[in-house]
Amino acid sequence: MIINQKLLTIDRLEVRSLEELSKKARETIVEIAATDTGCHIGGSLSVIDMLIALFVKFHSDDQSQIILSKGHAAAALYSVLYVKGILKDNPAESYGKSDSLLTGHPNHKIIGIPYSTGSLGHGIPYAAGWALAQKLKGSNGIGVAVCGDGELQEGLCWETFQVVQAKQIHNFVCVVDINGAQNDGYVHTISSLENLRERFESFGFETLEINGHDFEEIIRSLNIIGRSSKPLAILAHTVKGKGVPDIEGNPNSHYAKIPQRLKNKWKRSIL
Amino acid sequence: MTLSGRDAYRDQLTKLAEYNHNILCLEADLGGANHTFQSEFPDRFFNMGIAEMTSIDMAAGLAEAGYVPFFSTFAPFASLRAAESIKLAMGYMGKNIKVIAPYGGVSGGWFGTTHHSLEDIAIIRSFPNIKIACPYGEEDTRRVISEAASSLHPYYVRLSRNEAFASLEREEKSAFSALINQKGNGDVCLISIGEQGTELCKKIQENYPEISHVHLCYVDQSSLLDAVVQIKELGNEFLVVEEHRLAGGTASLLSILLPDKRVYSFDCGEEWPVYGGNHKETLAHLKFDSENLDRKITNILSDVVKPKI
Repeated sequence: MIINQKLLTIDRLEVRSLEELSKKARETIVEIAATDTGCHIGGSLSVIDMLIALFVKFHSDDQSQIILSKGHAAAALYSVLYVKGILKDNPAESYGKSDSLLTGHPNHKIIGIPYSTGSLGHGIPYAAGWALAQKLKGSNGIGVAVCGDGELQEGLCWETFQVVQAKQIHNFVCVVDINGAQNDGYVHTISSLENLRERFESFGFETLEINGHDFEEIIRSLNIIGRSSKPLAILAHTVKGKGVPDIEGNPNSHYAKIPQRLKNKWKRSIL
Repeated sequence: MTLSGRDAYRDQLTKLAEYNHNILCLEADLGGANHTFQSEFPDRFFNMGIAEMTSIDMAAGLAEAGYVPFFSTFAPFASLRAAESIKLAMGYMGKNIKVIAPYGGVSGGWFGTTHHSLEDIAIIRSFPNIKIACPYGEEDTRRVISEAASSLHPYYVRLSRNEAFASLEREEKSAFSALINQKGNGDVCLISIGEQGTELCKKIQENYPEISHVHLCYVDQSSLLDAVVQIKELGNEFLVVEEHRLAGGTASLLSILLPDKRVYSFDCGEEWPVYGGNHKETLAHLKFDSENLDRKITNILSDVVKPKI
Protein backbone atom coordinates (compact mmCIF):
# COMPACT_ATOMS: atom_id res chain seq x y z
CA MET A 1 0.00 0.00 0.00
CA ILE A 2 1.04 3.61 -0.45
CA ILE A 3 1.47 5.24 2.95
CA ASN A 4 0.51 8.87 3.31
CA GLN A 5 3.61 10.86 4.27
CA LYS A 6 1.71 12.52 7.12
CA LEU A 7 1.51 9.14 8.79
CA LEU A 8 5.29 9.05 8.92
CA THR A 9 5.44 12.16 11.08
CA ILE A 10 5.99 11.03 14.63
CA ASP A 11 5.36 13.11 17.71
CA ARG A 12 8.48 12.75 19.86
CA LEU A 13 6.58 13.63 23.01
CA GLU A 14 4.11 10.86 22.25
CA VAL A 15 6.96 8.37 21.89
CA ARG A 16 8.58 9.48 25.14
CA SER A 17 5.28 9.32 26.99
CA LEU A 18 4.68 5.78 25.74
CA GLU A 19 8.20 4.73 26.73
CA GLU A 20 7.66 6.02 30.25
CA LEU A 21 4.33 4.23 30.59
CA SER A 22 5.88 1.08 29.21
CA LYS A 23 8.72 1.17 31.76
CA LYS A 24 6.21 1.54 34.62
CA ALA A 25 4.12 -1.30 33.24
CA ARG A 26 7.21 -3.55 32.95
CA GLU A 27 8.04 -2.83 36.59
CA THR A 28 4.51 -3.87 37.54
CA ILE A 29 4.82 -7.07 35.52
CA VAL A 30 8.01 -7.94 37.39
CA GLU A 31 6.24 -7.24 40.68
CA ILE A 32 3.46 -9.62 39.63
CA ALA A 33 6.07 -12.26 38.78
CA ALA A 34 7.28 -11.94 42.36
CA THR A 35 3.88 -12.78 43.87
CA ASP A 36 3.07 -16.17 45.37
CA THR A 37 1.71 -17.41 42.06
CA GLY A 38 4.13 -15.88 39.56
CA CYS A 39 2.91 -15.10 36.05
CA HIS A 40 3.47 -15.57 32.32
CA ILE A 41 6.23 -13.00 32.38
CA GLY A 42 7.95 -13.69 29.05
CA GLY A 43 4.90 -13.09 26.86
CA SER A 44 3.74 -10.21 29.04
CA LEU A 45 7.04 -8.38 28.49
CA SER A 46 6.94 -9.09 24.75
CA VAL A 47 3.44 -7.71 24.20
CA ILE A 48 3.49 -4.79 26.61
CA ASP A 49 4.66 -2.10 24.18
CA MET A 50 1.97 -2.89 21.62
CA LEU A 51 -0.63 -3.08 24.35
CA ILE A 52 0.35 0.26 25.89
CA ALA A 53 0.19 2.01 22.54
CA LEU A 54 -3.19 0.49 21.66
CA PHE A 55 -4.72 1.45 25.00
CA VAL A 56 -3.39 4.99 24.88
CA LYS A 57 -4.68 5.46 21.35
CA PHE A 58 -8.03 3.69 21.43
CA HIS A 59 -9.21 2.78 24.92
CA SER A 60 -10.99 6.05 25.67
CA ASP A 61 -12.98 5.61 22.45
CA ASP A 62 -16.13 3.75 23.52
CA GLN A 63 -16.74 2.62 19.95
CA SER A 64 -13.53 0.58 19.90
CA GLN A 65 -12.44 -2.50 21.82
CA ILE A 66 -8.96 -3.92 22.38
CA ILE A 67 -9.08 -7.57 23.34
CA LEU A 68 -6.08 -9.46 24.67
CA SER A 69 -6.67 -12.82 23.04
CA LYS A 70 -3.38 -14.22 24.36
CA GLY A 71 -4.92 -14.15 27.80
CA HIS A 72 -1.93 -15.73 29.51
CA ALA A 73 -0.34 -12.28 29.26
CA ALA A 74 -2.87 -11.08 31.84
CA ALA A 75 -0.07 -9.49 33.86
CA ALA A 76 0.56 -7.16 30.92
CA LEU A 77 -3.12 -6.26 30.63
CA TYR A 78 -3.50 -5.59 34.36
CA SER A 79 -0.34 -3.50 34.30
CA VAL A 80 -1.60 -1.41 31.38
CA LEU A 81 -4.93 -0.86 33.14
CA TYR A 82 -2.98 0.17 36.24
CA VAL A 83 -0.61 2.65 34.63
CA LYS A 84 -3.57 4.06 32.68
CA GLY A 85 -5.40 4.63 35.99
CA ILE A 86 -8.27 2.25 35.19
CA LEU A 87 -7.21 -0.11 37.96
CA LYS A 88 -6.70 2.00 41.08
CA ASP A 89 -4.56 -0.43 43.07
CA ASN A 90 -1.30 -2.07 42.06
CA PRO A 91 -2.36 -5.47 40.65
CA ALA A 92 0.69 -7.09 42.26
CA GLU A 93 -0.96 -6.59 45.65
CA SER A 94 -3.82 -8.99 44.94
CA TYR A 95 -2.90 -10.95 41.80
CA GLY A 96 -3.79 -14.62 42.11
CA LYS A 97 -5.02 -14.31 45.68
CA SER A 98 -8.24 -15.68 47.11
CA ASP A 99 -11.09 -13.15 46.72
CA SER A 100 -9.18 -11.29 43.99
CA LEU A 101 -10.62 -11.00 40.49
CA LEU A 102 -7.09 -10.66 39.14
CA THR A 103 -6.75 -14.23 37.97
CA GLY A 104 -3.97 -15.66 35.84
CA HIS A 105 -6.05 -15.08 32.73
CA PRO A 106 -8.17 -11.92 32.20
CA ASN A 107 -11.55 -11.84 33.82
CA HIS A 108 -14.51 -9.98 32.30
CA LYS A 109 -15.70 -9.02 35.78
CA ILE A 110 -12.83 -6.52 35.97
CA ILE A 111 -13.48 -2.98 34.80
CA GLY A 112 -11.96 -2.38 31.37
CA ILE A 113 -12.02 -6.06 30.35
CA PRO A 114 -15.11 -6.93 28.27
CA TYR A 115 -14.33 -10.64 27.72
CA SER A 116 -12.63 -13.37 29.69
CA THR A 117 -9.85 -14.79 27.57
CA GLY A 118 -7.17 -17.39 28.00
CA SER A 119 -8.48 -20.36 26.07
CA LEU A 120 -6.59 -19.39 22.95
CA GLY A 121 -8.24 -18.18 19.78
CA HIS A 122 -11.50 -16.82 21.17
CA GLY A 123 -10.43 -13.19 21.50
CA ILE A 124 -10.05 -12.93 17.73
CA PRO A 125 -13.74 -13.59 16.91
CA TYR A 126 -14.84 -11.49 19.91
CA ALA A 127 -13.01 -8.56 18.31
CA ALA A 128 -14.32 -9.42 14.84
CA GLY A 129 -17.89 -9.49 16.20
CA TRP A 130 -17.41 -6.10 17.84
CA ALA A 131 -15.97 -4.72 14.58
CA LEU A 132 -18.94 -6.07 12.61
CA ALA A 133 -21.29 -4.39 15.10
CA GLN A 134 -19.56 -1.05 14.56
CA LYS A 135 -19.76 -1.51 10.82
CA LEU A 136 -23.52 -2.14 11.12
CA LYS A 137 -23.91 0.97 13.24
CA GLY A 138 -21.93 3.03 10.75
CA SER A 139 -19.50 4.11 13.46
CA ASN A 140 -15.76 4.60 13.14
CA GLY A 141 -15.09 2.08 15.91
CA ILE A 142 -12.70 -0.79 15.48
CA GLY A 143 -12.19 -4.23 17.00
CA VAL A 144 -8.59 -5.10 17.83
CA ALA A 145 -7.45 -8.58 18.77
CA VAL A 146 -3.97 -8.98 20.24
CA CYS A 147 -2.86 -12.57 19.85
CA GLY A 148 0.29 -14.60 20.12
CA ASP A 149 2.16 -16.31 17.29
CA GLY A 150 1.75 -19.71 18.93
CA GLU A 151 -1.95 -18.93 19.28
CA LEU A 152 -2.25 -18.94 15.51
CA GLN A 153 -1.91 -22.73 15.65
CA GLU A 154 -5.56 -22.72 16.79
CA GLY A 155 -7.98 -23.39 13.92
CA LEU A 156 -10.49 -20.91 15.33
CA CYS A 157 -8.20 -18.02 14.38
CA TRP A 158 -8.22 -18.94 10.70
CA GLU A 159 -11.92 -19.76 10.74
CA THR A 160 -12.46 -16.19 11.90
CA PHE A 161 -10.07 -14.64 9.37
CA GLN A 162 -12.08 -16.46 6.70
CA VAL A 163 -15.30 -14.85 7.96
CA VAL A 164 -13.63 -11.43 8.31
CA GLN A 165 -12.63 -11.63 4.67
CA ALA A 166 -15.99 -12.95 3.49
CA LYS A 167 -18.01 -10.32 5.37
CA GLN A 168 -15.56 -7.52 4.54
CA ILE A 169 -15.01 -6.48 8.13
CA HIS A 170 -12.43 -3.84 7.31
CA ASN A 171 -12.43 -2.25 10.75
CA PHE A 172 -10.94 -5.41 12.28
CA VAL A 173 -7.31 -5.37 13.35
CA CYS A 174 -5.24 -8.37 14.36
CA VAL A 175 -1.98 -7.66 16.17
CA VAL A 176 0.28 -10.69 16.35
CA ASP A 177 2.92 -10.68 19.07
CA ILE A 178 5.62 -12.70 17.32
CA ASN A 179 7.97 -13.55 20.17
CA GLY A 180 8.83 -16.91 18.61
CA ALA A 181 8.14 -19.04 21.65
CA GLN A 182 5.26 -20.89 23.23
CA ASN A 183 4.66 -22.98 26.35
CA ASP A 184 6.88 -25.94 25.47
CA GLY A 185 9.59 -24.18 23.48
CA TYR A 186 10.18 -22.38 20.19
CA VAL A 187 7.27 -21.99 17.76
CA HIS A 188 9.44 -22.96 14.79
CA THR A 189 10.38 -26.31 16.34
CA ILE A 190 6.85 -27.19 17.49
CA SER A 191 4.57 -26.10 14.64
CA SER A 192 6.20 -23.50 12.46
CA LEU A 193 4.18 -20.60 11.03
CA GLU A 194 5.65 -20.46 7.55
CA ASN A 195 4.90 -17.53 5.25
CA LEU A 196 2.78 -15.80 7.85
CA ARG A 197 2.65 -12.50 6.00
CA GLU A 198 1.57 -14.23 2.80
CA ARG A 199 -1.03 -16.19 4.73
CA PHE A 200 -2.64 -13.02 6.07
CA GLU A 201 -2.45 -11.37 2.66
CA SER A 202 -4.13 -14.38 1.08
CA PHE A 203 -6.94 -13.93 3.62
CA GLY A 204 -7.42 -10.40 2.32
CA PHE A 205 -5.54 -8.49 5.04
CA GLU A 206 -3.42 -5.40 4.68
CA THR A 207 -0.31 -6.71 6.43
CA LEU A 208 2.44 -4.75 8.15
CA GLU A 209 5.59 -6.10 9.77
CA ILE A 210 7.09 -3.98 12.49
CA ASN A 211 9.47 -4.05 15.42
CA GLY A 212 6.96 -4.47 18.27
CA HIS A 213 9.25 -2.66 20.71
CA ASP A 214 9.90 0.43 18.61
CA PHE A 215 7.23 3.02 19.42
CA GLU A 216 7.89 4.99 16.26
CA GLU A 217 7.08 1.93 14.17
CA ILE A 218 4.17 1.03 16.41
CA ILE A 219 2.62 4.50 16.09
CA ARG A 220 3.06 4.46 12.32
CA SER A 221 1.28 1.13 12.10
CA LEU A 222 -1.57 2.28 14.34
CA ASN A 223 -1.98 5.46 12.33
CA ILE A 224 -2.94 3.30 9.36
CA ILE A 225 -5.95 1.90 11.21
CA GLY A 226 -9.14 3.22 9.69
CA ARG A 227 -7.42 4.30 6.49
CA SER A 228 -7.21 0.93 4.78
CA SER A 229 -9.95 -0.66 2.72
CA LYS A 230 -8.98 -4.06 4.12
CA PRO A 231 -8.74 -5.62 7.57
CA LEU A 232 -5.32 -4.99 9.03
CA ALA A 233 -2.78 -7.49 10.37
CA ILE A 234 0.15 -6.03 12.30
CA LEU A 235 2.89 -8.62 12.63
CA ALA A 236 4.85 -7.28 15.58
CA HIS A 237 8.25 -8.93 15.92
CA THR A 238 9.05 -8.98 19.60
CA VAL A 239 11.38 -10.58 22.12
CA LYS A 240 10.16 -12.82 24.89
CA GLY A 241 11.14 -11.29 28.23
CA LYS A 242 11.97 -7.98 26.53
CA GLY A 243 13.35 -5.29 28.83
CA VAL A 244 14.70 -7.58 31.53
CA PRO A 245 18.20 -8.58 30.40
CA ASP A 246 18.33 -11.75 32.51
CA ILE A 247 15.52 -13.37 30.54
CA GLU A 248 15.42 -11.59 27.18
CA GLY A 249 14.96 -14.07 24.35
CA ASN A 250 14.76 -17.07 26.63
CA PRO A 251 11.75 -19.31 25.80
CA ASN A 252 11.94 -20.67 29.34
CA SER A 253 10.70 -17.28 30.55
CA HIS A 254 7.16 -18.24 29.47
CA TYR A 255 6.12 -18.58 33.11
CA ALA A 256 8.12 -17.55 36.13
CA LYS A 257 7.79 -17.02 39.83
CA ILE A 258 10.73 -15.03 41.11
CA PRO A 259 12.08 -14.38 44.61
CA GLN A 260 11.96 -10.89 46.13
CA ARG A 261 15.70 -10.31 45.70
CA LEU A 262 15.38 -10.86 41.95
CA LYS A 263 12.37 -8.56 41.77
CA ASN A 264 14.40 -5.57 42.87
CA LYS A 265 17.33 -6.50 40.63
CA TRP A 266 15.11 -6.99 37.60
CA LYS A 267 13.19 -3.76 38.19
CA ARG A 268 16.45 -1.85 38.37
CA SER A 269 17.67 -3.53 35.19
CA ILE A 270 14.65 -2.66 33.03
CA LEU A 271 15.87 -0.96 29.91
CA MET B 1 -51.05 -24.77 7.71
CA THR B 2 -49.12 -25.66 10.83
CA LEU B 3 -45.42 -24.85 10.58
CA SER B 4 -42.52 -26.99 11.78
CA GLY B 5 -40.45 -25.65 14.64
CA ARG B 6 -37.67 -24.33 12.48
CA ASP B 7 -40.04 -22.70 9.99
CA ALA B 8 -41.95 -21.16 12.89
CA TYR B 9 -38.62 -19.86 14.25
CA ARG B 10 -37.71 -18.15 10.99
CA ASP B 11 -41.15 -16.65 10.56
CA GLN B 12 -41.44 -15.43 14.14
CA LEU B 13 -37.95 -13.94 14.18
CA THR B 14 -38.70 -12.08 10.97
CA LYS B 15 -41.86 -10.65 12.51
CA LEU B 16 -40.04 -9.59 15.67
CA ALA B 17 -37.22 -8.00 13.67
CA GLU B 18 -39.66 -5.59 12.08
CA TYR B 19 -40.01 -3.84 15.44
CA ASN B 20 -36.77 -4.80 17.19
CA HIS B 21 -34.04 -3.41 14.99
CA ASN B 22 -31.32 -4.92 17.15
CA ILE B 23 -32.23 -8.47 16.16
CA LEU B 24 -29.67 -10.12 13.88
CA CYS B 25 -30.00 -13.51 12.21
CA LEU B 26 -26.86 -15.64 11.83
CA GLU B 27 -26.68 -18.99 10.06
CA ALA B 28 -23.83 -21.43 9.46
CA ASP B 29 -24.82 -22.53 5.97
CA LEU B 30 -27.77 -24.63 7.14
CA GLY B 31 -30.50 -22.03 6.95
CA GLY B 32 -31.59 -22.84 3.42
CA ALA B 33 -31.42 -20.74 0.28
CA ASN B 34 -34.79 -19.03 0.75
CA HIS B 35 -34.57 -17.78 4.30
CA THR B 36 -37.49 -15.51 5.20
CA PHE B 37 -35.36 -13.26 7.37
CA GLN B 38 -32.78 -12.82 4.62
CA SER B 39 -35.50 -11.78 2.18
CA GLU B 40 -36.98 -9.20 4.55
CA PHE B 41 -33.84 -7.89 6.26
CA PRO B 42 -30.79 -8.68 4.12
CA ASP B 43 -28.63 -6.15 6.01
CA ARG B 44 -29.23 -7.99 9.30
CA PHE B 45 -28.81 -11.52 7.95
CA PHE B 46 -25.41 -13.21 7.92
CA ASN B 47 -24.63 -16.61 6.51
CA MET B 48 -21.32 -17.00 8.32
CA GLY B 49 -20.34 -20.06 6.33
CA ILE B 50 -19.50 -23.35 8.01
CA ALA B 51 -17.98 -21.70 11.06
CA GLU B 52 -19.87 -22.53 14.24
CA MET B 53 -17.33 -21.48 16.89
CA THR B 54 -16.58 -18.23 15.10
CA SER B 55 -20.30 -17.53 14.75
CA ILE B 56 -21.00 -17.82 18.46
CA ASP B 57 -17.87 -15.91 19.45
CA MET B 58 -18.62 -13.15 16.97
CA ALA B 59 -22.16 -13.10 18.33
CA ALA B 60 -20.55 -12.29 21.70
CA GLY B 61 -19.00 -9.17 20.18
CA LEU B 62 -22.28 -8.24 18.51
CA ALA B 63 -24.18 -8.71 21.77
CA GLU B 64 -21.61 -6.65 23.65
CA ALA B 65 -22.40 -3.80 21.25
CA GLY B 66 -26.13 -4.05 22.00
CA TYR B 67 -27.39 -6.34 19.26
CA VAL B 68 -29.51 -9.45 19.86
CA PRO B 69 -27.92 -12.13 17.67
CA PHE B 70 -29.89 -15.31 16.92
CA PHE B 71 -27.56 -18.01 15.61
CA SER B 72 -28.91 -21.22 14.16
CA THR B 73 -27.22 -24.43 13.18
CA PHE B 74 -27.95 -28.12 13.77
CA ALA B 75 -28.00 -29.19 17.41
CA PRO B 76 -24.98 -31.56 17.24
CA PHE B 77 -22.76 -28.86 15.75
CA ALA B 78 -23.96 -26.11 18.07
CA SER B 79 -23.71 -28.10 21.28
CA LEU B 80 -20.55 -30.08 20.62
CA ARG B 81 -18.33 -28.37 18.06
CA ALA B 82 -19.06 -24.98 19.57
CA ALA B 83 -19.41 -26.18 23.17
CA GLU B 84 -16.53 -24.12 24.53
CA SER B 85 -17.76 -20.98 22.81
CA ILE B 86 -21.20 -21.51 24.35
CA LYS B 87 -19.71 -22.24 27.77
CA LEU B 88 -17.57 -19.11 27.83
CA ALA B 89 -19.59 -16.50 25.90
CA MET B 90 -23.09 -17.53 26.95
CA GLY B 91 -22.70 -19.42 30.21
CA TYR B 92 -19.81 -17.70 31.94
CA MET B 93 -19.91 -14.22 30.41
CA GLY B 94 -23.70 -14.20 29.95
CA LYS B 95 -23.63 -12.47 26.56
CA ASN B 96 -27.10 -12.04 25.13
CA ILE B 97 -26.87 -14.71 22.42
CA LYS B 98 -29.67 -17.01 21.27
CA VAL B 99 -28.75 -20.37 19.77
CA ILE B 100 -31.54 -22.05 17.82
CA ALA B 101 -30.75 -25.71 17.25
CA PRO B 102 -32.88 -27.81 14.89
CA TYR B 103 -32.07 -31.50 14.32
CA GLY B 104 -32.38 -32.15 18.06
CA GLY B 105 -32.45 -35.81 19.08
CA VAL B 106 -32.52 -38.10 16.05
CA SER B 107 -34.86 -35.94 14.01
CA GLY B 108 -32.29 -36.06 11.21
CA GLY B 109 -33.33 -39.72 10.69
CA TRP B 110 -31.57 -41.04 7.60
CA PHE B 111 -28.95 -38.27 7.74
CA GLY B 112 -27.09 -40.57 10.12
CA THR B 113 -25.22 -40.56 13.40
CA THR B 114 -23.09 -37.45 12.78
CA HIS B 115 -26.27 -35.40 12.51
CA HIS B 116 -27.96 -36.73 15.65
CA SER B 117 -27.90 -35.05 19.01
CA LEU B 118 -28.90 -37.07 22.05
CA GLU B 119 -26.47 -35.33 24.37
CA ASP B 120 -27.06 -31.63 23.80
CA ILE B 121 -29.36 -30.90 26.73
CA ALA B 122 -26.89 -32.51 29.14
CA ILE B 123 -24.02 -30.45 27.74
CA ILE B 124 -25.79 -27.10 27.66
CA ARG B 125 -27.46 -27.65 31.04
CA SER B 126 -24.06 -28.11 32.64
CA PHE B 127 -23.29 -24.45 31.79
CA PRO B 128 -25.11 -22.19 34.27
CA ASN B 129 -27.05 -19.11 33.07
CA ILE B 130 -28.41 -20.49 29.81
CA LYS B 131 -32.16 -20.88 29.34
CA ILE B 132 -32.95 -24.16 27.56
CA ALA B 133 -36.26 -24.54 25.76
CA CYS B 134 -37.66 -27.58 23.92
CA PRO B 135 -40.93 -26.24 22.52
CA TYR B 136 -43.65 -28.57 21.28
CA GLY B 137 -45.37 -27.29 18.17
CA GLU B 138 -45.64 -24.05 16.27
CA GLU B 139 -47.33 -21.83 18.85
CA ASP B 140 -44.93 -22.66 21.67
CA THR B 141 -41.96 -22.22 19.33
CA ARG B 142 -43.22 -18.74 18.50
CA ARG B 143 -43.70 -18.02 22.22
CA VAL B 144 -40.17 -19.15 23.02
CA ILE B 145 -38.60 -17.08 20.22
CA SER B 146 -40.50 -14.00 21.40
CA GLU B 147 -39.45 -14.65 25.00
CA ALA B 148 -35.84 -15.09 23.92
CA ALA B 149 -35.88 -11.86 21.94
CA SER B 150 -37.15 -9.82 24.87
CA SER B 151 -34.91 -11.49 27.46
CA LEU B 152 -31.34 -10.57 28.37
CA HIS B 153 -30.57 -14.24 29.08
CA PRO B 154 -28.64 -16.43 26.68
CA TYR B 155 -30.92 -19.09 25.16
CA TYR B 156 -30.50 -22.56 23.69
CA VAL B 157 -33.65 -23.65 21.83
CA ARG B 158 -33.81 -27.27 20.74
CA LEU B 159 -35.99 -27.95 17.71
CA SER B 160 -36.59 -30.92 15.43
CA ARG B 161 -36.47 -31.09 11.64
CA ASN B 162 -39.57 -30.80 9.49
CA GLU B 163 -42.43 -32.37 11.44
CA ALA B 164 -45.19 -29.91 12.28
CA PHE B 165 -47.37 -30.03 15.37
CA ALA B 166 -50.03 -27.83 16.90
CA SER B 167 -48.97 -26.96 20.44
CA LEU B 168 -50.96 -27.98 23.48
CA GLU B 169 -53.39 -25.28 24.49
CA ARG B 170 -52.23 -22.82 27.10
CA GLU B 171 -54.22 -20.37 29.12
CA GLU B 172 -51.21 -18.22 29.89
CA LYS B 173 -49.13 -16.43 27.27
CA SER B 174 -45.78 -17.57 28.57
CA ALA B 175 -44.19 -20.94 27.82
CA PHE B 176 -42.36 -20.86 31.15
CA SER B 177 -45.14 -22.52 33.14
CA ALA B 178 -45.40 -26.27 33.30
CA LEU B 179 -48.30 -27.27 31.10
CA ILE B 180 -50.47 -29.59 33.15
CA ASN B 181 -52.47 -31.41 30.55
CA GLN B 182 -54.53 -33.66 32.76
CA LYS B 183 -54.79 -34.42 36.45
CA GLY B 184 -54.96 -38.12 37.20
CA ASN B 185 -55.27 -40.17 40.35
CA GLY B 186 -51.95 -39.11 41.83
CA ASP B 187 -50.02 -42.35 41.36
CA VAL B 188 -48.07 -41.78 38.19
CA CYS B 189 -47.39 -38.60 36.26
CA LEU B 190 -45.80 -38.39 32.82
CA ILE B 191 -43.46 -35.50 32.11
CA SER B 192 -42.88 -34.91 28.42
CA ILE B 193 -39.98 -32.98 26.93
CA GLY B 194 -39.83 -31.97 23.27
CA GLU B 195 -41.96 -32.90 20.33
CA GLN B 196 -41.63 -36.68 20.11
CA GLY B 197 -41.77 -37.16 23.88
CA THR B 198 -44.97 -35.14 24.00
CA GLU B 199 -46.46 -36.99 21.05
CA LEU B 200 -45.85 -40.30 22.82
CA CYS B 201 -47.41 -39.04 26.03
CA LYS B 202 -50.50 -37.76 24.25
CA LYS B 203 -50.95 -41.14 22.59
CA ILE B 204 -50.33 -43.17 25.74
CA GLN B 205 -52.90 -41.16 27.68
CA GLU B 206 -55.58 -42.69 25.48
CA ASN B 207 -54.81 -46.03 27.17
CA TYR B 208 -54.17 -44.63 30.65
CA PRO B 209 -56.67 -41.86 31.40
CA GLU B 210 -55.82 -42.08 35.09
CA ILE B 211 -52.27 -40.85 34.45
CA SER B 212 -51.41 -37.17 34.60
CA HIS B 213 -49.34 -35.58 31.89
CA VAL B 214 -47.19 -32.51 32.33
CA HIS B 215 -45.36 -30.91 29.43
CA LEU B 216 -42.26 -28.89 30.30
CA CYS B 217 -40.98 -26.47 27.68
CA TYR B 218 -38.09 -24.95 29.65
CA VAL B 219 -35.70 -27.55 31.06
CA ASP B 220 -32.65 -25.64 32.33
CA GLN B 221 -31.92 -26.14 36.02
CA SER B 222 -33.40 -22.82 37.13
CA SER B 223 -36.64 -23.44 35.22
CA LEU B 224 -36.90 -26.99 36.58
CA LEU B 225 -36.55 -25.66 40.11
CA ASP B 226 -39.62 -23.51 39.43
CA ALA B 227 -41.43 -26.37 37.72
CA VAL B 228 -41.10 -28.84 40.60
CA VAL B 229 -43.08 -26.46 42.80
CA GLN B 230 -45.95 -26.70 40.31
CA ILE B 231 -45.81 -30.43 39.65
CA LYS B 232 -44.71 -32.13 42.85
CA GLU B 233 -48.28 -32.71 44.05
CA LEU B 234 -49.32 -34.41 40.83
CA GLY B 235 -47.95 -37.82 41.70
CA ASN B 236 -45.55 -39.90 43.71
CA GLU B 237 -44.05 -41.53 40.63
CA PHE B 238 -42.85 -39.43 37.71
CA LEU B 239 -41.86 -40.82 34.35
CA VAL B 240 -39.87 -38.40 32.19
CA VAL B 241 -40.24 -39.05 28.45
CA GLU B 242 -37.40 -37.35 26.61
CA GLU B 243 -35.59 -37.88 23.31
CA HIS B 244 -32.15 -37.82 24.91
CA ARG B 245 -29.61 -39.95 26.75
CA LEU B 246 -30.22 -40.89 30.37
CA ALA B 247 -26.94 -39.29 31.46
CA GLY B 248 -27.60 -35.60 31.99
CA GLY B 249 -31.19 -35.97 30.87
CA THR B 250 -34.07 -34.20 32.54
CA ALA B 251 -35.01 -37.31 34.55
CA SER B 252 -31.57 -37.42 36.15
CA LEU B 253 -31.88 -33.82 37.34
CA LEU B 254 -35.51 -34.12 38.44
CA SER B 255 -34.63 -37.18 40.53
CA ILE B 256 -32.43 -34.86 42.60
CA LEU B 257 -34.89 -31.96 42.61
CA LEU B 258 -37.72 -34.28 43.75
CA PRO B 259 -36.02 -36.24 46.55
CA ASP B 260 -39.31 -37.49 48.03
CA LYS B 261 -40.57 -38.90 44.71
CA ARG B 262 -39.58 -41.71 42.41
CA VAL B 263 -38.41 -40.44 39.05
CA TYR B 264 -38.07 -42.80 36.09
CA SER B 265 -36.66 -42.14 32.67
CA PHE B 266 -37.95 -43.20 29.28
CA ASP B 267 -35.12 -42.17 27.00
CA CYS B 268 -33.10 -43.24 23.97
CA GLY B 269 -30.72 -45.49 25.88
CA GLU B 270 -27.06 -46.05 25.29
CA GLU B 271 -27.06 -47.27 21.69
CA TRP B 272 -25.74 -45.24 18.76
CA PRO B 273 -28.44 -44.70 16.15
CA VAL B 274 -26.78 -46.27 13.10
CA TYR B 275 -29.70 -47.06 10.78
CA GLY B 276 -31.53 -44.95 8.23
CA GLY B 277 -35.24 -44.28 8.11
CA ASN B 278 -37.41 -41.37 9.11
CA HIS B 279 -37.46 -39.79 12.55
CA LYS B 280 -39.92 -42.25 14.06
CA GLU B 281 -38.19 -45.26 12.51
CA THR B 282 -34.86 -44.11 13.91
CA LEU B 283 -36.47 -43.68 17.32
CA ALA B 284 -37.96 -47.16 17.09
CA HIS B 285 -34.46 -48.61 16.64
CA LEU B 286 -33.65 -46.95 19.96
CA LYS B 287 -36.83 -48.44 21.52
CA PHE B 288 -38.25 -44.96 21.97
CA ASP B 289 -41.79 -45.70 20.82
CA SER B 290 -45.29 -46.15 22.18
CA GLU B 291 -45.00 -49.93 22.65
CA ASN B 292 -41.93 -49.63 24.83
CA LEU B 293 -43.38 -46.68 26.69
CA ASP B 294 -46.53 -48.68 27.35
CA ARG B 295 -44.41 -51.52 28.72
CA LYS B 296 -42.50 -49.15 30.96
CA ILE B 297 -45.70 -47.65 32.35
CA THR B 298 -47.16 -51.10 32.96
CA ASN B 299 -44.08 -52.05 34.94
CA ILE B 300 -44.24 -48.87 37.00
CA LEU B 301 -47.95 -49.30 37.67
CA SER B 302 -47.54 -52.92 38.74
CA ASP B 303 -44.83 -51.79 41.11
CA VAL B 304 -47.01 -48.97 42.42
CA VAL B 305 -49.96 -51.25 43.21
CA LYS B 306 -47.80 -53.77 45.05
CA PRO B 307 -48.50 -53.61 48.77
CA LYS B 308 -45.83 -51.59 50.57
CA ILE B 309 -44.16 -53.54 53.37
